[in-house]
Amino acid sequence: MGGIPFDCLANPLGAVRITFERAISSGSDPKTFNGKDWGAIEVFKECLFDQNGLSQVPILDSSTIGRIKPNSLVRFRGMVQDMLGNELYVGAYKDESTWRTNKYTDVASFPMSSSSEMSMWERRLLYCVPVRGQSPWVVEASSSAAAASSVAAINRRDNWASQHGEKRRRDDDTSVDKMDCNISNHEVKGSPSSTKKMREDGLPCLASQSHELEIGETSSMQSVIPDFDTKSLSCLVKIYDSPETALKLNDVFEFVGVFTFDPELVASKDETAESDALFEDELVNLPPNKVPRLHCLIHKKKSIQNFLCGSPVIERVPYVIRGIRESLVGYLTAVLGNDGVAAQSVLLHLLSQVHARVDTVAVGKLSLNLTGFNKETVSVFGNQLNLAIQSLLPLTQALPLTVEYLNTASLAPKKDYKANRLITGSLQLADGTHLILDETQLNSGTLNSTGVENVQVLKSLMELQKVEYDFEYYKLEMSSDVQLLVLSEGKSNILPADLVLPFQPSSVGSSLNADANALQAWRWYLATLRSLPHVIDPELQKVIENDLVEARQEDRSLGSNDFSRWLTMARLMSASFGETSLSLEHWQMVKELERLRKDRLK
Amino acid sequence: MSKGFNLQTDKDLAKDFLTNFADINGEAKYMSILQEVANRKIRAVQIELEDLLDYKDLDEEFFGRVTENTRRYLGVFADAIDELIPEATEAFTEDDNDILMTQRAADGNENADSADPHQRMPKEIKRFFEVYIKASCKGQARPFTIREVKASNIGQLVRISGIVTRCSDVKPLMQVAVYTCEECGFEIYQEVTARIFMPLFECPSERCKINNAKGNLILQLRASKFLRFQEAKIQELSEHVPKGHIPRTMTVHFRGELTRKVAPGDVIELSGIFLPIPYTGFRAMRAGLVADTYLEAMSVSHYKKKYEEYKLEGDEEEQIANLAEDGDIYNKLARSLAPEIFGHEDVKKALLLLLVGAPHRQLKDGMKIRGDLHICLMGDPGVAKSQLLKHIISVAPRGVYTTGKGSSGVGLTAAVMKDPVTNEMVLEGGALVLADMGICAIDEFDKMDDSDRTAIHEVMEQQTVSIAKAGITTSLNARTAVLAAANPAWGRYDLRRTPAENINLPPALLSRFDLLWLILDRADMDSDLEMARHVVYVHQHSKSPALGFAPLDASVLRAYISAAIKICPHVPKELEEYIATVYSSIRQDEAKSNAPHSYTTIRTLLSIIRLSTALARLRFSEVLAQSDVDEALRLMQMSKFSLYSEDRQKSGLDAISDIYSVLRDEALRMKKMDVSYAHALNWISRKGYTEAQLKECLEEYAALNVWQIHPNTFDIRFIDA
Repeated sequence: MGGIPFDCLANPLGAVRITFERAISSGSDPKTFNGKDWGAIEVFKECLFDQNGLSQVPILDSSTIGRIKPNSLVRFRGMVQDMLGNELYVGAYKDESTWRTNKYTDVASFPMSSSSEMSMWERRLLYCVPVRGQSPWVVEASSSAAAASSVAAINRRDNWASQHGEKRRRDDDTSVDKMDCNISNHEVKGSPSSTKKMREDGLPCLASQSHELEIGETSSMQSVIPDFDTKSLSCLVKIYDSPETALKLNDVFEFVGVFTFDPELVASKDETAESDALFEDELVNLPPNKVPRLHCLIHKKKSIQNFLCGSPVIERVPYVIRGIRESLVGYLTAVLGNDGVAAQSVLLHLLSQVHARVDTVAVGKLSLNLTGFNKETVSVFGNQLNLAIQSLLPLTQALPLTVEYLNTASLAPKKDYKANRLITGSLQLADGTHLILDETQLNSGTLNSTGVENVQVLKSLMELQKVEYDFEYYKLEMSSDVQLLVLSEGKSNILPADLVLPFQPSSVGSSLNADANALQAWRWYLATLRSLPHVIDPELQKVIENDLVEARQEDRSLGSNDFSRWLTMARLMSASFGETSLSLEHWQMVKELERLRKDRLK
Repeated sequence: MSKGFNLQTDKDLAKDFLTNFADINGEAKYMSILQEVANRKIRAVQIELEDLLDYKDLDEEFFGRVTENTRRYLGVFADAIDELIPEATEAFTEDDNDILMTQRAADGNENADSADPHQRMPKEIKRFFEVYIKASCKGQARPFTIREVKASNIGQLVRISGIVTRCSDVKPLMQVAVYTCEECGFEIYQEVTARIFMPLFECPSERCKINNAKGNLILQLRASKFLRFQEAKIQELSEHVPKGHIPRTMTVHFRGELTRKVAPGDVIELSGIFLPIPYTGFRAMRAGLVADTYLEAMSVSHYKKKYEEYKLEGDEEEQIANLAEDGDIYNKLARSLAPEIFGHEDVKKALLLLLVGAPHRQLKDGMKIRGDLHICLMGDPGVAKSQLLKHIISVAPRGVYTTGKGSSGVGLTAAVMKDPVTNEMVLEGGALVLADMGICAIDEFDKMDDSDRTAIHEVMEQQTVSIAKAGITTSLNARTAVLAAANPAWGRYDLRRTPAENINLPPALLSRFDLLWLILDRADMDSDLEMARHVVYVHQHSKSPALGFAPLDASVLRAYISAAIKICPHVPKELEEYIATVYSSIRQDEAKSNAPHSYTTIRTLLSIIRLSTALARLRFSEVLAQSDVDEALRLMQMSKFSLYSEDRQKSGLDAISDIYSVLRDEALRMKKMDVSYAHALNWISRKGYTEAQLKECLEEYAALNVWQIHPNTFDIRFIDA
């Protein structure tokens, strides 16, 4: 690292300080630095991206947290779960005659006298949690990356980890809310393979965890932490300088920043328990010994594509795409017991994404309702499909709909004013998540008011791709982009999906094991093609318009929703071939698919 | 702290302002307030910065300093008031504090010159007033949202808006602690500026020091000065939260007279000083790094969202005046309602009238006649009924959207509930009560609980909700316009059945609706193509196609309606006769017809008047015009046609001759041979015919030499046979 006199990775604060001093000595007024960068970010960008230092930065997660030295540079990937507002801090102050900065740190490096000249700056606090519903292969890939990167960290580590208590295994995920838990409690729980095992029995596992999300009965702290993954490690990220619009709720980011931890602060916290319970410091519920602080230097938004790591670089040439498509449809057909129509529909469904919101319509969504399941078939095909989707998409979730679940779970996030936190709900999901709703387990029963509310939340997610967050005094609509697949016996009336297809398997799939290379290619295919641009030629537009009018003349029950669905399917169909412009052939395929579907509905 | 300005001169400036500021009437506003204060009538002296701006000898810099460093200038103004406060002109009963003060004044001479700061009486303890500085609306057009208050605003006076989410109890906050010394007997004062203070234990007075007595101090609670203190949290309003963000919160401190002004759920506008919280004790160690902040409230006002209190902002007044001059305002406003929903012009017009409404009337004998219009939209699923409803609610300043089935145990009307904390029975209002003086949109009206449906009868005509449950007998106001949406009895409108069969609602309820609209999804090539184009366009361009006109903003719409609603039009003598004839002719038509579609009652007459009054309001006219009545009749007719359109189609063959007979009858009634085209159009549109049909009729009968048509104006002259 020839030209740089400091070590960005091991001593990032030093680098910050040096650049600050440099900027001061070149005659800048420190008071003008509020909300601005004085060149520190440049240095880090250069170090991380140009000199390829990023791979050496350790990834912060529950397995590495015990080994990472405070005040060093870390990476953290998480979803913005809550926003805690602004924090004012002394950005710059005069220590006798020299200006010092406190940016990117929690404690002043030099003592400050109260009379010294100072300048107040602000930073934003984001509460980030690990992305929910990551498929086993994503977890595996990222943890191997974490292991690789932490090699670098281990080289630098001192005896810090051993200072901090013996490494206890966490006995259960419920221990999170025990105040005595130390950071090293988050110590490695199992290798990736054990996580995988846990994942495989997906449904029951989720059911048992769902009750944890209840509000009210459980303590706020416990429910705040979305403990779907036992490996969850949430993080309080402090954002500097970047515009507010850059970071939104439920966005997934990779943050690179300074990890801070100060045992002194932990101690001070205990003594300042204020009597005024109403107006406690917001952060009391997030003590630094449980939730690490990260002072963000650089953040990067992650979309679905970024979850593929080490994926083969596949050229987007028609015949390759066609080949992948064919093999994927073949795989899906096998999974779905030789039901080709269902396989085609599932493929389109897996490629869907909200492209735009026009008035109240979310353009591009295609929720699918496979009907004709019963308790027996769902255990065969439902599980197969579930596993297949898990192996194909990076973010997947499954919700078993039972009356009990609907009556007790909190699907929509809710603001808890006592803790001043947003309590997460099962439907606070990152964009691009796939959600399976298994309605076959729904028996007749009475819904209480929570149940009714939950059903409405699900319905609005289905119809508008929006979830209403409950802020008690008002509800705030948050846009989401979730692929919804409903498995039900008959057509689901509670969850009106865009595409309803009776599922007609003819055989139980035999060989379902796809080889790793094919899986890689399919994952790449599904992640890449869904965001392809799309145009409709004016000529074809005429054809489509006429087709639509004709269809409506024949069948009065068709509405604009159906038209919209057809066009969405047309787009997805053309995208599934890797094309960006709709062709007549694909339009005909959609019509054919629709005809086959209609036949089944009869 | 550098002192580039002189506090003494600023105090003089403040004094000058307080003595000499004259309001519009030329009265010395603040001096009269001070007199009231001296007479112990009020405690709060609110200095409005707006007045300071208006002050003739305004010193711009002084004004700037007051807004930038408000906390200090509170003291400056208080000092100025100390010097200005007049003698009481009226006798007032002395309270403990006054007696204490007289005593203190009596023995004050003894140690008046004492250099010891603890022994000098602080000014605060003498004051029986509180000073507040209220932010000006001029510098800042609208209040800040919470997220707009930045670090650079520290110490400044800011105006913000928000909703109160939590409130603490009101607690006493010590302002001046008073001690007496056991040894020397002196009163010792200690000013308290923070929430926590370190009490004094040793007497600091000269005498004790000289005697080395270490006098024991005793805190005198009765002599100390306390302020009422309340803490609250406010949160951003939902409309101020950017997409994809969480509402921010802020702590607010209320002191003295401002306490108990807010309750959770209130939407308020505050002006106050944005301050960091001074840390004490152990936390001070890290105080240098992070600062909590709060807003020291200076004034509170509750947001008024009702039309009556709607204040026109800035250029809105001008905009409205411009709109009012534009002749086509009725159409323009109607089209701007839910512009994304294609067509349905007449329905939108009706909904516009629902928003405007007619004034409530109370007769001398106490009988009330409602002014709110009730409209029921009935139609096939998927014809955007719910969207229309939701849009209307978003336009109305006060609106509640609910579904007939989805409402909670409280339901639509009201329920007696047991408070979980106190176990007391409390009355909780339902959607209709909450929508008092507003609009209540009820979706899925047909699927409503029977109990709610019976209660709705009362709401719709008497506009009250009576309740007699659990020992609570009361009647709640529910002066609300009901906008209902319902599906036909069999899900879809069945054209083979009669309307009565399709509409699954009892006639008693139906008659309470001023307009009942059926929105059907009809087979129509053009509209199908329109729809197909729209959908394709949306998918092609990811946005809605241009509307072909610029819809008015919801805020402009609201402002216009609020202006219109202030007008209370009356029916002129000339029109009384006209309305009466129209009503009787409708009754007669109905009597003649063997299958009456509707039952015209006196309610219908009231509906006509309500609709026409709303139309007059839209024109900003104090007097109803015949055109208003005609339009009202047309709307009613159209709403009926929407229900009985098959009949129209059947009689469609005969439309031309029907138009002729209408024109002929009207001409005879007016005893005139000339009918202007505009009049003719009016008459026939009331019957639900179109202009094209009129033209056809005109041509056809002109060919028969029944009348002559003016070639340019199309005016009609009957040729007397």
